[in-house]
Amino acid sequence: MASTSSTAADSVEQLVTTWMVSGRDEELAAAVAEVSEGRLLGVVKALGTYLTSEQDDLRTKGVDFLATIITRCPQNALNRQSVKVLTAFFCDKLDDTETIVPALKGLASLPPICSSSDALVMINAIFAHVKMRALVQSVRFHVFTIIDGLIANHRETLKGMKKDFIAPYISLAEGEKDPRNLLVAFAIARVILIEFDPTDHVEALSNIVFCYFPITFRAPANDPYGITPEDLRIALRRCLNAHPGFGPIAIPIFLEKLAAGSPAIKRDTLQTMTECFSVYGPVFLRTAARKLWNAVKLEIFQPTDSATEEAALAAMQALVVTIHAEDDAQDEDLQGLARDACEECIGILREPEKSQAKPAIKVLCAFMSTTPSVSRYTLAHAVPHLLKLFADPNEVPSRHPILLLLSDLIAAARDSANAKSTPEEPMSDSTPEPPLAPFKDEVLGALISGVVTLAITRAALAGLTGLVSTPHLLSDAELGFVVLKVNDVLETCLDEEHSDDRSAILKLLMIISSTAPAHVREQTLPLLLGSLPASAPPREAVAARARYQHVLSALSTLCGPPPLFETLVAALLPRLTAIAFAPSAESDGAADDPELRAAYLHALLAALKRALEGKVDEGHTDVAAYADTLVPALYGLCVRAALRGGPAAREPRVVGVVGEIVGLVVQSTAPARQQAFAVVLFPAFLSGKIAPLCAAEHVSIEDTFFPFAADATTAERNLLVLFEAGVVPLHPSVTIDADINACTETILVQGLAHTDTDRQAEAVFRTVGSIVNKHVDELGPFLEHKTTVYWAERIQDPAGTPAQRRQAIRVWTWLCKALLVRSHPRALPAIDRLFEVFGDATIGTDAAKAFGDIAAADGVLTKRNAAVVRFLWAQKFATGMLPRLMGGARNESDPALQHANLIALTALIKAIPNAAYAHEMAQLLPLLLRALLLPDAQIRANVIETLLAAAAQHKSTHAVLAEHAPALTRQMLAYTKPGAPVTSTRIRISALRYLGVLPAVVRYDVLHPVKAEVLRELAAALDDPRRGVRREAVDARFVVVSSLCSARLIGVRAGKYGA
Amino acid sequence: MSQIFNPNPTIFAPVKSSKASSDYLWVTDPLESNLDGEEVDSEEPIDQDEIFDLIRSISDPEHPNSLEELRVVSAPQITITGNCVNVEFTPTVPHCGMSTLIGLSIRVRLLRALPNRFKIDITLKPGSHQSELAVNKQLNDKERVAAALENPVLVQTVEQTLVNASLRGQPAED
Repeated sequence: MASTSSTAADSVEQLVTTWMVSGRDEELAAAVAEVSEGRLLGVVKALGTYLTSEQDDLRTKGVDFLATIITRCPQNALNRQSVKVLTAFFCDKLDDTETIVPALKGLASLPPICSSSDALVMINAIFAHVKMRALVQSVRFHVFTIIDGLIANHRETLKGMKKDFIAPYISLAEGEKDPRNLLVAFAIARVILIEFDPTDHVEALSNIVFCYFPITFRAPANDPYGITPEDLRIALRRCLNAHPGFGPIAIPIFLEKLAAGSPAIKRDTLQTMTECFSVYGPVFLRTAARKLWNAVKLEIFQPTDSATEEAALAAMQALVVTIHAEDDAQDEDLQGLARDACEECIGILREPEKSQAKPAIKVLCAFMSTTPSVSRYTLAHAVPHLLKLFADPNEVPSRHPILLLLSDLIAAARDSANAKSTPEEPMSDSTPEPPLAPFKDEVLGALISGVVTLAITRAALAGLTGLVSTPHLLSDAELGFVVLKVNDVLETCLDEEHSDDRSAILKLLMIISSTAPAHVREQTLPLLLGSLPASAPPREAVAARARYQHVLSALSTLCGPPPLFETLVAALLPRLTAIAFAPSAESDGAADDPELRAAYLHALLAALKRALEGKVDEGHTDVAAYADTLVPALYGLCVRAALRGGPAAREPRVVGVVGEIVGLVVQSTAPARQQAFAVVLFPAFLSGKIAPLCAAEHVSIEDTFFPFAADATTAERNLLVLFEAGVVPLHPSVTIDADINACTETILVQGLAHTDTDRQAEAVFRTVGSIVNKHVDELGPFLEHKTTVYWAERIQDPAGTPAQRRQAIRVWTWLCKALLVRSHPRALPAIDRLFEVFGDATIGTDAAKAFGDIAAADGVLTKRNAAVVRFLWAQKFATGMLPRLMGGARNESDPALQHANLIALTALIKAIPNAAYAHEMAQLLPLLLRALLLPDAQIRANVIETLLAAAAQHKSTHAVLAEHAPALTRQMLAYTKPGAPVTSTRIRISALRYLGVLPAVVRYDVLHPVKAEVLRELAAALDDPRRGVRREAVDARFVVVSSLCSARLIGVRAGKYGA
Repeated sequence: MSQIFNPNPTIFAPVKSSKASSDYLWVTDPLESNLDGEEVDSEEPIDQDEIFDLIRSISDPEHPNSLEELRVVSAPQITITGNCVNVEFTPTVPHCGMSTLIGLSIRVRLLRALPNRFKIDITLKPGSHQSELAVNKQLNDKERVAAALENPVLVQTVEQTLVNASLRGQPAED
């Protein structure tokens, strides 16, 4: 036993000796392990000679070794006795200038485990021996950590010391400058201020707190501690508002900083004030109120920026809340600051049209959300004042600003009531009376009289909007009255000049209809519907046409809520029939132009569609129900027109919008209902059983309808669009047909065999694409046939006519797309085959452009249409395809192939989000520059837009751009000329935009050589015949002039005043 | 510069931004209709609304408002005859010492934004300023304008008023 312990002692001694020489971590770790096992004594013994050595550096090292071990070893390894000894030992070493640093380090880990008597010893020793000014930052940090630890663990003991703790601590903490130490010091100061009894030391404590206000610290570039000025600001603020006694000291400082500071300091001061006021208390603040108000007022009435203004308003609110918190005085008795400030603001409001009126009303609005008494007082004085001004005949020209001010006040009253009621008891029935209630009648009267006066309608509408959106303010009858009056105005606003008034009215009505739709339904809708003409206005009646368009846009905005939409549908359906099929009226004479009727029909249907879109976006559940009413009626309308005449409803655009409506409704129905719909839909188009699909009013059982047949008329075939509209939104679980392969083949072949417009063919592509996407697993034979026979015969075989082959490429595109969107394994091999025809003289370009169509987003294969869509499919496709296309575009062995690759590349890039190709930008840019030269306006515009998007979004491409910038600039300049060989408005606009973006992206020295050229050419573009182009030219020139001309006006002078 | 000539000017509501009238037969989606179509060769000449759009959002040198909000400029005060543009503006007070600066800002903006073929006259609204003739003379004397633009401090001030000029009456985005 004895021998083992002596060997252990030897080994520890060895450890210590080795460390003294090497200072390595291994020995330290071993010693820590030793102590953790309870053998502290052995280590101390081994250290003995070093701890008391006469040699300074050995002593320092010895104490440091011990301190490091204590810091590292787990807290439970030390027992009470050893902690006591260690405390005494380290405190003793504080006296010694050589050992004070490691001793403090050792002490730093002791507060949590020492006893309260040790704590006293420790704190007294620190106060006695530590001279902060002699220590460096990291050691001072230990001191603060020790005191912080003691406060956390032995607060009662330290409290017992009273002034013996506070006073020495203050002198200890005085003059600290380091941000890391300050964070701890502020935390200590807050505890002292709140929990200790600092009444006698407030002045002294303020010295170690207020000298830091305001914080102007700026963190160094690579600060290892990551302390931000905001951290310090918050920590300091928590000290400043820790004691009410600071008030008299703080306010003069605050006022001084507010008057002299920069905007950031002003903001900080205002925010600090906001937090401090409630602590400093009403008694003191009342004495300082006047001064504070004067200072804060300045920040509101002449604000440096909006953030400061907001902070100032918040500070003022806090001030008012503190001063008037306990005062329940009734209106007229309110005294003090709020009254004075209120009177001052109302004084300013005597000139409501002046710019100072705005801040004044902001102050009053801010008062609304302070205390109930102040809010009552404010309203009781401001509202009658504004109403009196409004009624004053001398102030008629200022009525507009008066109403605007009033509506600000109304909105503030509403928001203050909301803010109070929501968080507490949202369910309570006994809602308090809205603050504005006492003045409701007068205000409503003024606003109503304002709303019917044309010049001030808008301001009055803003006020009314505030009123109706205040809960529990207006009664149902009053809402009805508002609607009635507003309707009168709406009637006069149905032309172009009043579009702003109109949208304000619609906003108001929409707010009303969200709570009380009945008023809008019974009063506004009949008015609007009644003002729609019974038949299409003649061609030259431009005003009448604009009017019905405005009426319709108002209707589609208003008719979101289910009861309103129901009314709209019920009113529009008969009207649609009437317009589509009414015999041409004799009174119109020869002017009955089918196009006019069609346009009117289209406008009505488009209004219906817009309303429906809004409802679908908001997820209204009543949309599905229209599958039983609206859908058959619309199908019936179009089929009847196609079969029996009624030229208006045959118009393809009308059919198009009907298709969109059908699509929206079918999307919203459940799969089971869709199945029932599909059972009727497919036979209707494929087998001629059209009657069940359509409303009986339009189509009878004897009608025959075969749009896929060879002898179908164009009008009948145009209805393929409606077939597409019904099929595309169907859910994958909906069964198409018993033999889906044959059915799809029929649709494709029969559909394309006789098409006479592109839109018809497009409808077939989309229908087939949607079916393939959703039912690919059942379509094996169909797809097999396409990849073998169809590809060889229709696409590859040069014997086919160019038109047919192009159409086949479109079919192929849609098949690829349908498969690719769901990441089907067949997709990529099918797309690869397109490369086979790149060299074909007839269809090479079409095959290349197909890459863009495949990757582009479309309205068919979407989640809303229940298509199977994989996440990020386009990005994945692009990543796979780009290297191949880029390689092809660089390969100069076959010009035709290279050309096709280049086209495919630009088409693809245009179609995908630019994040997908950003990493390739360096290699892409030269290719894009080459593509710019292709003589095709559309490709050119695509490329420029791609470049624009890349420049705006990807900093990584800027270096590459810089390399090509001068060449690009010249190229773009050439495109800005209206007489250039291949040009369009779109090219010129995007080229000019690009020129405007370049200076921000590329360093100045790169663009310097082309500066004069740019300015000269842009001056020419200012004279472009198109307004949109001129606009871009002005903006581009503005950017170029301000960023490129250091001697600013060189461009102007060269143009105008040059030699 | 420290003297404030009008500490509390009247603010007016902005007028509606000019829009093309919709006399089309078909309601179309505005997104589809404009760009991609074939080049319609209808010429759109520069009119007073377009020029007003160019200058309406110039900032006042004295207040954080635009010239439009202070009714210093308005569309009816602009006339175009052939290649001559006459812009008339109204200072907020008759003793406004900023009138020349405002006029200069308008001139610089139009010099940069209008084609070279235009001759631009900038005048005060008759009777709106106590030294109307002097200001008019100064603004339309090309030697004096050129000299003013040699002064870097003045150019800096002018640039400052033009910072928001491209907003064209739209509210600034934050």
